[in-house]
Amino acid sequence: MIDRLRRKGTSWSAIPALTGPAEGPLPKDRYKGLRTRIFLLIGTLAGIPLVVITVISYVWLQGALKEDFNNQLKGNVESTRQSIEFFIEERISALRFLASANSYSQLSDDKYLNDIFIKFKREFGELVDLGLIDSKGVQLTYSGPYDLRGKIYSNQDWFNAVAVRGVYVSDVFMGYRKIPHFAIAVKKELPEKGTFCILRATIDMATLNRYISTVNLKGRDDAFIINRDGILQTQSRFHGNVLEKVKLEVPHPNDTVTLGEIRQAGGAPLILGFTTIKNSPWIIGVTVTSTAQSKLLDLLTSDIAAIYLALVLIVMGIIANMRITATVVNWIREAEQEREEAIVQTHHTGRLASIGRLAAGVAHEINNPLAIINEKAGLMKDLMLMSNEPPDKEKFLGLIKAIADSVNRCRTITHRLLGFARRMDVQHEEIDLNDTIREVIEFLDKETLYRNIKLETHLREDLPRIVSDKGQLQQVFLNIINNAIDAVSDGGMIVVSTEVKDQDRVRVSIADNGQGIPRDTIKNIFEPFYTTKGKGKGTGLGLSISYGIIQRLGGDILVESDVDEGSTFYVELPIRAAGQ
Amino acid sequence: MARAKVLLVDDEIEFAATLSERLNIRGYDTSAVYSADAVLDKVRSDMPDVVILDLKMPGTSGLDILKAIKQFNPSIEVILLTGHGSEQCTAECESGGAFDYIMKPVEIDNLTVKIDMALEKKKK
Repeated sequence: MIDRLRRKGTSWSAIPALTGPAEGPLPKDRYKGLRTRIFLLIGTLAGIPLVVITVISYVWLQGALKEDFNNQLKGNVESTRQSIEFFIEERISALRFLASANSYSQLSDDKYLNDIFIKFKREFGELVDLGLIDSKGVQLTYSGPYDLRGKIYSNQDWFNAVAVRGVYVSDVFMGYRKIPHFAIAVKKELPEKGTFCILRATIDMATLNRYISTVNLKGRDDAFIINRDGILQTQSRFHGNVLEKVKLEVPHPNDTVTLGEIRQAGGAPLILGFTTIKNSPWIIGVTVTSTAQSKLLDLLTSDIAAIYLALVLIVMGIIANMRITATVVNWIREAEQEREEAIVQTHHTGRLASIGRLAAGVAHEINNPLAIINEKAGLMKDLMLMSNEPPDKEKFLGLIKAIADSVNRCRTITHRLLGFARRMDVQHEEIDLNDTIREVIEFLDKETLYRNIKLETHLREDLPRIVSDKGQLQQVFLNIINNAIDAVSDGGMIVVSTEVKDQDRVRVSIADNGQGIPRDTIKNIFEPFYTTKGKGKGTGLGLSISYGIIQRLGGDILVESDVDEGSTFYVELPIRAAGQ
Repeated sequence: MARAKVLLVDDEIEFAATLSERLNIRGYDTSAVYSADAVLDKVRSDMPDVVILDLKMPGTSGLDILKAIKQFNPSIEVILLTGHGSEQCTAECESGGAFDYIMKPVEIDNLTVKIDMALEKKKK
């Protein structure tokens, strides 16, 4: 029968979860580690969305700030450009008006020109001097602080340019005046003479500086004007002096404000905004070191209340996390304690159930010899009462012997029971597994006899002695063989075998030819309180307790079963106890 | 007046033989059988008035024997012997048609009262 079951059956390992409670109290370190893991888990779960939202917000805000920042910078450059353009336009218009409203002869008169210069300077304080140059480039009249009358400009670029274009705004230059200045010149046609003259005003470079200073600058920001060759027309804070080459690579400008980023060696990137100034040879440039990122940082750090609020929220979050973690860990601890207590109670209940079943069998066994004693004594009394004669000695001796024999039967039973009960406490000792099984089977003899069940043993005589707990093993074998008795029909068969599995283990097989266990229920048979027996016939604890016991003893229980053909339980035990 | 015939059925030979002797002393024509297989033959041959039947015997159930006796002759009253009294035992007695049950070890006076009551019932 065993071979059949091995061939056809399917093995299932026992349920590891059931071994937990039997392994002793839960270590406190486990809860500490658990608390840390839960704390980190909650922190991570709460933190990830927060970080994601923060990053998204940061990126979005940075983009918005960058756009705002760029617009602001462009606006700054644009407004300064417009101011300078307006300034130049206004000066050109004024000069044109002077040129058209006054005749050549008037303008050629020093006194007249000086009067105009005084009035003109009253309106435009930045004016340095005013002069009239004829078509040959000779300074005819001059009003101003320098003695430039008679100076010849015919070989200078600006003279030729104004002769061709009619109007000219020069670069800033030193010239005869030895101070940085620039000139605005307009051409006055003299058709009656078939020639022309040029009215030229010189303007202090400081004027341009004044306009540049209106640009809103912070920290290491800078604003300046350069000409098309990159020569500074105004003073730069960080990129050079007037009339020096600017220390920046300025890309080719156009009429709209262009922004570019300049990487500096070892420094923060510069944002450069630049554009041309209409009717002039100039380019206005603004460099800023503050970027959208630094602006965002400034924005965040400038709001102390928001920082405090964020810190308070973080601290509150951590405290809440710690409280939640502590609560969850306490719940788990309480649940595990309850489970542990339930398992202990389960073991106690299961042991009581085993003892109860055992006691019922023992009571029945003892009743029979007691009944004999009762009848023999009763008969002796009957005989004594029936006759006044001395009792039949032989008959009485026979009755007394029967009583003594019955008492001996009771003694054997009670001794066996006491021996079983004594071994209920856990203790490891060297035992003969075959003897252990035989003692269990003796308890079940009557039940198998009454039900005509054939209980065979195939116990290997050369089985090595093992170190284990005899009482616990007897409880296990009692549970499994009792289950087998319940599983088989009257006249059924149970075979208990022992064998050496390998050099470390022995194996006990308990095979029956009973009803078998359906595949869908076999996975549950080691669970506490699971029973397929009828109400009141099984506690559902026997196999779960047996499983726990065998696990504690370092062994395994496996089961193979076929419906309507039978089941085999294999109990594998180490020859030496764990740790020995 | 003929003595009432009592048949005692129990696999414990010492018990059955002694109890049989004690019942004989008390005026009952008592005989005993010690295995389930011999019961029906004995019933057929002796036609007892009352059968005292052990509920638990090797190889068979006392209830099955009870049913067989009742099937053979419903007028034979059966008193069951049991190791323990319980509601289940009472129910089994009633369902099987037993007159009553009595627990081991037997109180002889109690048993004779039940036998007499069974005989009374049989006469009716």
